[in-house]
Amino acid sequence: MLTINLFNGLVYGALLIVMCSGLALIYGLRRVVNFAHGSLYMLGAYLGYSISLHSNFWVALVAAPAIMALFGVLLDRYGFRLLQDRDPLTVVLVTFGLLLVIEDLVQTTWGKSNLSVPVPEALAFSVDLFGTPVPAYRLSVIVIGLLVALGLSLWLRFSKVGLFVRAASTDPVTTSMQGVNTDFLSAGVVGLGTALAGLAGVVAAPFLSLSPSMSADVIIDSFVVVVIGGLGSLAGAFIAALVLGMVQAIGAVYLPDAAVLLPFVFMIGILIWKPSGFAGSRT
Amino acid sequence: MSLKKSSLGAVVALGLGAVVALSVSSSTLLSLFTQSIIYAVFALGVGVLLKQNGMVSFGHALFFGGASYLLGILLQLQLVSAELAIFLTLLAVTAAAFLIGLVIVRVPGVAFGMLTLAIGQMFFLTASRARGVTGGADGMNIDWPSRLFGFPMSQMLKPATMFLVCWSTLVVVVFLLAWLMRTRFGGITEAVRDNEERARFIGITTLLPRAAVYALSAMVTSVAGVLSAMNTGFVSPESMHWSLSGVALMMVVVGGFKALWGPAVGAVVYFMFKDILGEHATHWMTIFGMALIAVIVFSPTGVAGLFDRWVLGKKPSIKVGGH
Repeated sequence: MLTINLFNGLVYGALLIVMCSGLALIYGLRRVVNFAHGSLYMLGAYLGYSISLHSNFWVALVAAPAIMALFGVLLDRYGFRLLQDRDPLTVVLVTFGLLLVIEDLVQTTWGKSNLSVPVPEALAFSVDLFGTPVPAYRLSVIVIGLLVALGLSLWLRFSKVGLFVRAASTDPVTTSMQGVNTDFLSAGVVGLGTALAGLAGVVAAPFLSLSPSMSADVIIDSFVVVVIGGLGSLAGAFIAALVLGMVQAIGAVYLPDAAVLLPFVFMIGILIWKPSGFAGSRT
Repeated sequence: MSLKKSSLGAVVALGLGAVVALSVSSSTLLSLFTQSIIYAVFALGVGVLLKQNGMVSFGHALFFGGASYLLGILLQLQLVSAELAIFLTLLAVTAAAFLIGLVIVRVPGVAFGMLTLAIGQMFFLTASRARGVTGGADGMNIDWPSRLFGFPMSQMLKPATMFLVCWSTLVVVVFLLAWLMRTRFGGITEAVRDNEERARFIGITTLLPRAAVYALSAMVTSVAGVLSAMNTGFVSPESMHWSLSGVALMMVVVGGFKALWGPAVGAVVYFMFKDILGEHATHWMTIFGMALIAVIVFSPTGVAGLFDRWVLGKKPSIKVGGH
């Protein structure tokens, strides 16, 4: 019982890692908290649903994030870039407006009823984990989460573009004076962040049902993760995502009635202790 | 505006309300007015937080729906009189907001907004799942006694009376807020908003005033919750949902937060707009989403800003928030 719950906590934590790394990347470069990130996740999930209906899940896994990446680049070019001199809260409110538009768009296109995506056949079996059978698909979600975390960390740490991204996150003006095209870089990073939201959506589709309320649930948890991890910090977000997934999983076993409130209690506890989060020096 | 002038304004506004209540005979129109006034009070609460603290709340529906629920539960238990229940509700919401505020106002800027959203949504989920206490997703009816403040409840619920009650409440709330902003409390909170570090240098404790503004804004919003409980006699989790917080925020932005009365104007504009849309209201989210983006991009100070620019000839200053 506990093993399977801890396992599910890890699965949810991995999903949050994919979500929150997108949020943190966009915040790092554009100083924008994207309130529409949950809606982009939902859009990715529904796109994945439609694509896998017409071809299969694996095509959707590549195509939906690719479409979202394009959307992200356009969002940066015709949204964030034009608003970069405005107050951060202004841009936040713009993303809030975008959220409303996307939610309506999804409801109009795919309807209000719950939809589901079948688990791809290649992964429709169980794996034995410490004597408990667990679905292979969920195990691969954990793998995807860890790959995203590892890939992003290595990319930011060791590649030249990663160096530019880190530099631009710290000081965009000086970075562009050194000859880095920060507008181009930002468009790429916002595209990547949006693609990650789309990826999270596609990956979540086979084990969470698709409904117009799916964005609200995940964005709340993502915000909790990003705030307690420290805004803009990837490592902080990774740790916070896994811890939050675990807290919810353990709560579901021992305190089923209060499981909804646990993230709240957890967050308040962390914030009393450290107002700017685990890794929060860059708020 | 001097105190004398704003008192005069308040008296005129109260008289105007009485004239409208007596002269408008259409009860649909009156209930539309009443509804927009209740939301105007709601938005005032959100606006006060932005104006005095430079902070944006994405979760104020918590205090709106929360007040309705608390009142409903108190009335159901019948331990205290309805009048005392209203007072206790306002007090409890304000105290709870102050405690939450003590923790979350320390979180800077945008992260604060994210937290308000998260907290609001968690209480929404709790309310929709606690079937025993709140009736879950079906909502709960609010059992008003037959008399309130000495008046028979049936009389209170007539559209014209209800309108007058809500309108008078709005006028009194605006007047009290205008007065409060002129006191030392207003001065201190503005100093903290504009430059927290310097405010600390001159010896002001900055945490308490900011938590107090948060509590104040929650109190104003909870007044709207009580009015709504009176008007509809019903509360459901929808009234705590974050989309409602978003709508309130939209009213604040559209009306303009620099002026105290801006959010109230935004609420009226919103309901007029929604009524005109009528048939097309299924796509209201898209329409309002785009309207919100357009207002923020092209007229960040909202209707109040346009009023300043066109009528009073003031220069616009574009800056949202204090950070």
